[in-house]
Amino acid sequence: MSGRLSQGLYHAVLWLVALVFFAPVFWIVLSSFKTASQILAVPPLLVFRPTLANYARLFAQPAFEHHFFNSVVLSVLAVLIAVAVSFLAAFAFSRFRPGATNFLMFLLLSIRMLPGSAAILPVYLMYVAFGWKDSYIWMTLFYAMFSIPFSVWILKGFIDGVSPRFDETGIVNGASWLSIIARLTFPQVLPGVVAALIFNFIFVWNEFLFNYIIGGINTANIPVLLATNLSHGGGIDWTFLSSLTTVYILPPIIAVYFFQRFLLVGMTFGTVRGEV
Amino acid sequence: MADVRVERLRRQFGSLVAVKDISFVFPEEAVTCLLGPSGCGKTTLLRMIAGLERPDAGTILFGDRNVTALSPRRRDVAMVFQYPVMYRTLSVVENIELPLANDRTIGSAERRQRVEEVLEILELGNFRHLHIDRLDLGNRQKVAVGRAIARRTAVTLFDEPTTNVEVHAKLALIRAFKELRRRVRQTIVYVTHDQTEAMTLADQIALMQEGQIVQCAPPRELYEQPAGEFGGWFLGNPGMNFLTPQPAARDGLQFDGLPFPLFAPNAGPEEIRLGIRPEHVQISRVPVPDSVPARVLRTAIAIGGQRLVTLAVGGSRIKAKVPPPAHPPQDTLEIGAEVFAVCPLERAILFHGGARLAEPPRRLVPRIELE
Repeated sequence: MSGRLSQGLYHAVLWLVALVFFAPVFWIVLSSFKTASQILAVPPLLVFRPTLANYARLFAQPAFEHHFFNSVVLSVLAVLIAVAVSFLAAFAFSRFRPGATNFLMFLLLSIRMLPGSAAILPVYLMYVAFGWKDSYIWMTLFYAMFSIPFSVWILKGFIDGVSPRFDETGIVNGASWLSIIARLTFPQVLPGVVAALIFNFIFVWNEFLFNYIIGGINTANIPVLLATNLSHGGGIDWTFLSSLTTVYILPPIIAVYFFQRFLLVGMTFGTVRGEV
Repeated sequence: MADVRVERLRRQFGSLVAVKDISFVFPEEAVTCLLGPSGCGKTTLLRMIAGLERPDAGTILFGDRNVTALSPRRRDVAMVFQYPVMYRTLSVVENIELPLANDRTIGSAERRQRVEEVLEILELGNFRHLHIDRLDLGNRQKVAVGRAIARRTAVTLFDEPTTNVEVHAKLALIRAFKELRRRVRQTIVYVTHDQTEAMTLADQIALMQEGQIVQCAPPRELYEQPAGEFGGWFLGNPGMNFLTPQPAARDGLQFDGLPFPLFAPNAGPEEIRLGIRPEHVQISRVPVPDSVPARVLRTAIAIGGQRLVTLAVGGSRIKAKVPPPAHPPQDTLEIGAEVFAVCPLERAILFHGGARLAEPPRRLVPRIELE
């Protein structure tokens, strides 16, 4: 009985924490179906007549379509490039263990330790000097470059968990290295690849600072649109903010929902390792 | 096909010498089993033949071709590992076919013919289009065997392929392997620590101990005529009984299992041991010629209903493997029973310093046959 009680308490605490974290999301989603006055009503209105007017207004704006398109293109392309490059790099680090591998891995990770505001100035100067500012290609490559270190780390862990017998089987049975990587190793670490894709997608999808500084009218993404169009008529445009945010958080939620099976494997992979 | 010759092959890991200057010939179109306990260097030797391990010294030849410095891909070798590594995105047929497709010298008609042949031999026809993930471990290992055999390389290597499969799948795999051998002649080196498997599959067994091949012979000869105590101990379940001579004996060598002394060989008595296999020891309720009194210490049922009996004979313990009692059991050989044991001299082997003596054990006083 005491076991059941403690389990009930445990679940209650979990639900409470989840609700606390979910509250702002709930509030913003709810607000997107309210009028401006309903949003600002005190106490907050929980029962109201929902309206789709905010969404109609949002979708009617050409800026929304443009920024949403930019967000999707930049995120998807950058993440695909990053994971493809990272997979090969992680394979090389894992299997050939070049000299000072640990130091190189540390260097890679240290890029992610650098605050964005510290890196932005040299990056900005470089992009302006080379004429790369506000270019799709260079913006994509920048995000790919920023996503690579984390991807290499996560994928190396996964590839380390795949027995070298896989490579050896391929080698002795006449397969090329490319075939070994693509046909033997890749299917084994698919959960890791999906985890890397999703983690990086969320990072690029949410990125604001670099897009704001080294991007421009052509390449601006949704976070930039949110920040720059936040004010309206001397105050914050809550209807715009809530409807855009709701639309904006949907793609990552959908991605995580469909791939959560892989994400869970990704989080626990390597905790138990066995020789095959 | 080609024979495989290794000459003064050596491999060291830190201070451990895994393979100690081995010179050996694996004959063409024969199955040679490398048999030995864990850590004796058999897998290291196999991996050097495959090209997965670089020898510290020595040469490896496939026929007349020196392959020591060649990568595995250029050696014309195929290998099956302990765990069946598969191309997970492919079907059974595609898994077998893929290495053949990489070889441009094989036409599509021949490729199909080879795949069909191994599918038939390995009884995988019903699974041909099944995705590899849907196969159990035993059948996957069959696919791995088929994939290696279909390539018809100069040498095919097996590294304990039945270790990770359950017992029925293991038997099925061994049956398939024997059928494969009947139909396809290839030079095969097969590593195992399972003596039954080696005895069943091998044309010859190379017995390894501490990085060296200590004896190579056909399975029956290896079992019946071990070159050393190690072979006598390692082969058989349980291994050979070893008896040391009684120190007090004045004339010849007196062993606990024999009622008469043996002629002492020139080697000197201090390191002499007499070996006899448990299945050759006989137990009787009444005294019979050449028997000695014994007491039953332990009994156990061995595979096939045979009884494994531990006897106290003088100061020694002798294991005997005797047939099951008749039905209804009249003779249960209860613990503590006083019996008589016979160790037939013609089945016994003398060892000196661990090595078998060429001369067979002889009675010091010839047996007098009474009319």
